This record gives sequence, C-alpha cells and structure tokens, in this order.
Amino acid sequence: MTAAIRRLGRHGGAIAVVALFVTILVFPAISDNRYYQTIIILSLLLAIMASSWNIISGFAGYVSLGQTVFLGIGAYTTAILSLRVFGPDEFGQGGANPFYFVPISAIVAGLFAAAIGPIIMRTRGHSFVILTIAFLFVMQLIALNWTELTYGNRGLSLPLPDWPREWGNLPFYYVFFGLLLITIATAWWIRRTKFGMGLIAIREDEDKAASVGVNTPIYKMLAYIASAVWIGAAGGVYAYYLSFIDPRNQFDIVYSVFVVLAVLLGGRGTIWGPVLGAFILEPLNQITNNDFNRWFGQGVWDANKRLIFFGALLILVVLFLPRGIIPSVREIFTRRRVSKVAAEVGARFERKPMRVVERAAAEAEQAPAAPLLEVRGAEKRFGGVKAVDGVSLAVERGTTTALIGPNGSGKTTLFNLIDGTMPLDRGEIWFDGERVDKLAPYRRAHRGIGRTFQITRLFRQMTVLENVVAPLRSFSWRRLGSDAVSGPESERAYELLEFVGMQRFADHQAGTLSYGQGKLVELAQILMLDPKLIMLDEPAGGINPTLIAHMEEMILELNRQGTTFLVVEHNMPLVLGLCDPVCVLARGKSICTGTPEVVQADPAVLDAYLGEDFVLEEKAEVKS
Amino acid sequence: MTQLIQTIVLGLLLGGVYALLASGLTLIFGVMDVINVAQGALIILAAFMTWALWNETGLDPLLGVLVTTPAMFLIGFGIYLATIRWILGKPASTSVILTFGLALIIEGVMGWVWTATLHRSTPDYFNQSFTIGDIYLRKAQVYGCAIAIGVLAILYVIIRVTWLGRAIRAVSANLSSAKLVGVNPRTVAALTFAIGVATTGAGGSIASVLYPFLPASGYQWISRLLGIIVLGGMGSLPGAVVGALLLGVAETMTQTYVSPQWATMVPWVVIMVVLLLRPQGLMGQKLREDVAL
Repeated sequence: MTAAIRRLGRHGGAIAVVALFVTILVFPAISDNRYYQTIIILSLLLAIMASSWNIISGFAGYVSLGQTVFLGIGAYTTAILSLRVFGPDEFGQGGANPFYFVPISAIVAGLFAAAIGPIIMRTRGHSFVILTIAFLFVMQLIALNWTELTYGNRGLSLPLPDWPREWGNLPFYYVFFGLLLITIATAWWIRRTKFGMGLIAIREDEDKAASVGVNTPIYKMLAYIASAVWIGAAGGVYAYYLSFIDPRNQFDIVYSVFVVLAVLLGGRGTIWGPVLGAFILEPLNQITNNDFNRWFGQGVWDANKRLIFFGALLILVVLFLPRGIIPSVREIFTRRRVSKVAAEVGARFERKPMRVVERAAAEAEQAPAAPLLEVRGAEKRFGGVKAVDGVSLAVERGTTTALIGPNGSGKTTLFNLIDGTMPLDRGEIWFDGERVDKLAPYRRAHRGIGRTFQITRLFRQMTVLENVVAPLRSFSWRRLGSDAVSGPESERAYELLEFVGMQRFADHQAGTLSYGQGKLVELAQILMLDPKLIMLDEPAGGINPTLIAHMEEMILELNRQGTTFLVVEHNMPLVLGLCDPVCVLARGKSICTGTPEVVQADPAVLDAYLGEDFVLEEKAEVKS
Repeated sequence: MTQLIQTIVLGLLLGGVYALLASGLTLIFGVMDVINVAQGALIILAAFMTWALWNETGLDPLLGVLVTTPAMFLIGFGIYLATIRWILGKPASTSVILTFGLALIIEGVMGWVWTATLHRSTPDYFNQSFTIGDIYLRKAQVYGCAIAIGVLAILYVIIRVTWLGRAIRAVSANLSSAKLVGVNPRTVAALTFAIGVATTGAGGSIASVLYPFLPASGYQWISRLLGIIVLGGMGSLPGAVVGALLLGVAETMTQTYVSPQWATMVPWVVIMVVLLLRPQGLMGQKLREDVAL
C-alpha cells in the first residue's frame, strides 16, 4: 500500500500532466461546447502568464506585480501593426491578419524587458515590486493618452478571423496551447541548466551568488526577458481573440495580481505549479462570472462579490498556503525519505586528501614577486562613520596573512570592499597585477578571489552538492545552457566535500545543516572557484575545538598547495600559530603589520586590541 | 504670474492633505516593513462613510473626521489581528500581495453597499472660495488642509512625546534592541497599524469633499501615496511631509501647464526616477546594510 502511494507520488504528477494535455488536445473533438472552450482558452492564457511570471519571480525571486505590462505591449504591437501600419482602413476594418505579427509582439516584449530589466533590477525587494507596478501604470497611461496611435479610451478593433465560421475559436485554442507548451518548455529548460541554478542562487542570496562568480546582472536580465517574450506573443494572440483592446483591460493591475495568485496557489518556483494554479483559478473565475449568476440570480451575485471572493482567496492563500499546492503535496510524499538520513547529522567527519588543483599548482611554480593582493588607502564611510579609514595592506603570494583587530575596527568591511560586495569610496585594490576595485563582485571571483562569511551564507533551499557546484570560474554564454550539475563538476564537488569531510551530507538541504557544518560546506563551495586567494571571515568563530583543529589542518594543507589566505579571526592561538604576517586594524586604520612576535610586542596593538596582560597560553607554558 | 502662484498654493493645500495620508503609510512601513496597498481603498471607505453620515444625518463632512478617525482606527486594528500579524517578518512583497487582497475586498464591499457610481460630499461651502488679491482659494481646500495639519500635529505629538511613540521609534530603528529593553513589538505593530489606518479616516473625510470618488478610486490614491513616500524616503515621517508638498505642487503644475490626463502619471514617474536614481529618497537614511557579515 505504502509502496503504491510512493509510486503515485513519483509518477502521479507526470500522469496528471499527460492526462491534462491529452484532454486539452482532444477536447474540441469530443465537445463543441463553446463555453468550455472559452474557459480552456482563458486558462491557457493564464497558464502562459503564470509560467512566465514564475521564471522571474519564482526562480529568481524578483516579485513582479506588473507582469501584464507585457500582455499589453504584445496586444498593442499586434493591433497597431495590423491596423495602423499594414492595415488599409483608418477605422480598423479589414486590417492585415494579426497572426503575422505575433512573433513581432514577442520580440517587442522581449526588447522592452531587455531595456528596462537591467535598470529596475538594480533595486530589490519592495522597491522592485513598486517599480513593476509603476511601469504597468505608466504604460497604461501612455496607451490612454497617446491617442494618435492607440485611439486612447476608444480602443482598437481588430479584424475578425478570416477562417471558416465552423472553426470557431479553435485556431486561438491551439495557438494558445502551443504557446503554453513553449512556455513550459522554456521554464523546464531553464530550471535544469546552470542558468536556472544561478537564478535560484540569486533568489536565495544575491550578494553571495555574485561573490561565487555568478554574473547576476546578465542572469537577471535574461530571466526577465524569458518571462516577457511568451507573454508578449500571447498578448498578440489575445488581442486578435478579443478583437477589441483598450488600455484599461490590457494593462490591468488586477489581472497581474491574478497571475500571482495562480502561481502562489499552484506552487511558486515549481514547473507545474503555475499551470495547475491557472487551471484551477481561471475556471473558478469563469464559474463565478457566469454560473453563479445563474445559480444565485443576477441581482445576488455581481462583480462586487467577485472582488470580495478573489480578494479573500488571495488572502487565504498567502496566509494558509504560502508555498502552494504542489510543494505541500510533495512534502507529504518525501517526508519519509528525509527522516532516514537525519540520523547522520551527528556523524563524525572523515576527511580525505584533496587532488591538487591546476591553477594553484601553476601558481606555486611561477610565483612573481609582486604581492597577490594589495589594498592602497582604502576608505569607506557609512553616513558619518568612517568604517575603513585609509587602510593599506599587502598579501604576499603563498602566505597566510591574518587580519586582526577589535570588533568594529573594519575587518569585515575591508573584506566586503575587497570582494566587491560594497563599493569603495576612495583608494585602490590590486589583485594579481590588475586593478580590481571597479570590477563587479562576480568578476573578482572569476579572477580568483574567494571569501567566506562571518555568519555562514549558503543557498538554503539548495542541496549541499548544488551549493558546491554553484560557483562559476568564468562567464560564458554557452555554459548558461549546460546542465546544472554536470558529471565532472559533481565529481569535483564530491572530492571537495570529501576534503572538508561533508561528503555524506551531499544530498541534504543546506538550510538543515548546523553552523559548523555550514562553515565546512562554504569552504568547499569557494574551493570550487579554484581561488588564488581565500579570505576567511572568522573560520573558527562559534565552532567546537575539534572542528577548529580540523579547520586549521585544512588551511595548512591548502596553503601548502599554493593557495594564499587572508584570515580574520579572534582566536589568538589559531592566528599566531597559523599566520605570518599579521596585520592589525583599529578604528578603521591599519596600526601594525609584522610577524606574530612583532605584533604581540607592539605597544599600540596591546593598547588597542590584545590588552596589556596578553600572554599567549602556549608561550606562557614554554616560559615556565 | 497669478496663475503660477495660484497653482503653487493649490498644490501646497493639497500637499497638506497628502502629507497626513502618506504619514500613515510610511509609519506602517517604517515600523513593520509592510507596504499597506489597501491604504488607498481605506481612504475611499472613509470617504464613503463620511458621505453616508452627511447624507443621512447632515453631519458636516469635515466634522466627520471625528467619527471616521476612531472608526478607521478600529478597522485597522481588526485588519491587523485578522491578517497582518501573520505575515510580520515576511518579505515586503508578501505584504503587498496580501494587502492587495484586502483592497479588493474593501472595493467589493463598497461597490456592494454604495454601488460603483461617483459620489461626493457637497456641503454648501464646497464650491465657495476665499479671495486674496487675485488668488482664489476654495474653502473646502483651506479647511481640509487645516484639519489635516491639525491631525498631523497630533500624530507628531503622539510619536514624539508618548511612550507609544518612543516604542514606535525604537522598533523602527532597531527591532531586536527594542525587544531587549522590554518593548513588545507585536503590541507596537498592532497600534502602529491601527494609527496608520486611522489617518485614512481624517484623510478620507477631507477627500470626500475635495474630489468625486467611486470604489475604484483607491488605485489613484495609493499611486499618489506610494509616490510620496518613495520620494520622501520610505519610513521617514518628515520625508512624507516634504514629499507630499512636492508631489501636490507637481500634480497641480502638470494639471495647469501640461494636461490633466498626464497629471495621473506624475506619481509613477516620480517613483521610477527616485527609485532608480536615489532609492533612499530625499530624507531616508542610507544606513549600512548588513549585507555581508
């Protein structure tokens, strides 16, 4: 019995999908009920919108409330080309066949997305949501007020279909169906490629994604285009289907919200959730629109009650079904599998030595004389506070350099300046003979800078293996389309996970790991970059002594293989045992750099950080 | 020249009313990270309540403030208990979607009760004017602005002087520290939301005299208010006041010198320009984001 249920869980989705598509495909042959045809046509349209929205908002996490802007753009492109450009008649009679212009609608929508995407996706969170709404309304107002082109409020009437009457709306039906298949295929393809994994990484933690080499601006722009193109095409078909368009109905904020509701209902971030949601919501919409009037009587049920109904539905979904139907159902089926591996959480680490990576090895051989990293007079202020105040610092090749100093002295900020998470106010940063302070974070990652974070940052919804595979050493258009986790990559990732002792957790979700485990995975993750320089922000902070020893061993081993380290750490025995030289920051300035012995004896350092009575335990023992 | 002064003065009078309404929205955002998109629909709800009171009892619509403000306070409190409190701490986009659902419900209820036709409170002074030199000031505008400033002043006193105000400022500055010193953020959030919604009571009563309205007019209001708080800096009360005055003037100037149709676009253009060029707005602080600790 349970086996049967599990099998249903694995294949139930596929069976349902095939059943749905076959039904849609053959339905017109079985029934010529025009009302049901209309319901299916509008459900197909909503599913196209929802699947497209899911790419930018479900995968990449940029919630848009203005996605109908592309429907309107597509509709107006087709209508204007058909009537005004190629149409013979001033009054919209007998224009050119609108189907010709549907591909152009797709292209125009895509170009519009390409134009505004990079601009509006510089903002995040609430700003992005507001901007998408703003763009929708601006386009609506332009369509309303540019009356020479759009006839404003009076709208545009498209030519009526020129095919035989008995075909009815079937051509629309099948064109929408084809568009939905293309949209789903696009979403499915994106989800299984490197591109899709990058989008998920951006959703989980955008700055982190950039710091491991994901070219976030390109990814976001492509996602926005992908979420616009098929809506644009659908808009062209929709205009023809309606045979009349006006600004208020084409650029409709309520329909935008309806799209969001469909995806939330079905399951955000999944392939089939948006389709499921659309095929629940649109029939419901039509039933409340038409049948309720019949059932309850015209006066009892009206547009106002529909608003109340869907408003309440939206609220209920947000409050009680925030993840949607598909993820919730899937969770029921997978709970069993997860509970089986949970026993390993407390398991001890088993480390294996790591294969020497090519880049680090080559580095160790030639090693030019100039420092690997050089910070010159770096400054950064937050409001009135100078967090970093003219720091200069050099990290020589092959060293493990320590950066120490009291809390608030600017260590983490300096890290953020070096890896590009924050822009520099003044100064220069040179890495491997190249000035990098103007480069985007992901480019610095490509150059070979890898960093961990004080509070571990992993892509929590991704597995440990996916986390380790996510970093990218370079950007190439071709690789966007390659498999999310390829064979060689996964092999390398396992090797790195073995090196840090976390191989047995490869299939765990990163969000379920403990703090210490997270630190190890994060180290494996940046090793995937083959970094020349690894910056560790408190690698020993908040973890147990065994793990600290383990961490120390790994740093030593990597350093022997040629990787240079810059380490921020408060654990003095670790710092003084591992690092040479040591650089001390206080109040945003570098106050001393030298060997551990020199630094320990420096009066300025004792005063600012270590304290007068600082004696390292091990040393004290030797003396006594 | 007279026309210019007339336009600016009118813009400032409108701006006073906008300032009150935007304060409520920005207060809620500052404390709770919630963008209450339903604020527009709530303004219209208050306007309808005012209209109904005036129509039934003859109560002056501007005095209706005394009824609508406590009524909207209670409605805000109810909305908080029923919905908002469950999504605190979720991304702001969640709050936008949720409150959009609220706006739809409120719009539907208003259409149900009062039908989707244009309404307006028209006490006998609504089309009378004061004349100062060559400048005409509609009495309703002047009274409305005065009342708005009065309510705004009370709001400022509450926030500057009372314990609640200190708690509100503490929570909006640093949630976890506020918890540590014994502020219960849930209580503060509930009261903040109720106070924020209460501003729509006074604002809606005034609006019912200034403009004709129907259930769907909420969209226009929310676009205006979003424009204002984005311009002023989201979460900043002084910013909301400055933004409101600027937007009021920008709107009347566009109406007078460009065309009334394009005036509705002003808030959206302001939003786009500000968010893209200076996302923290005029008076929002650019704090260190702890993006990378």
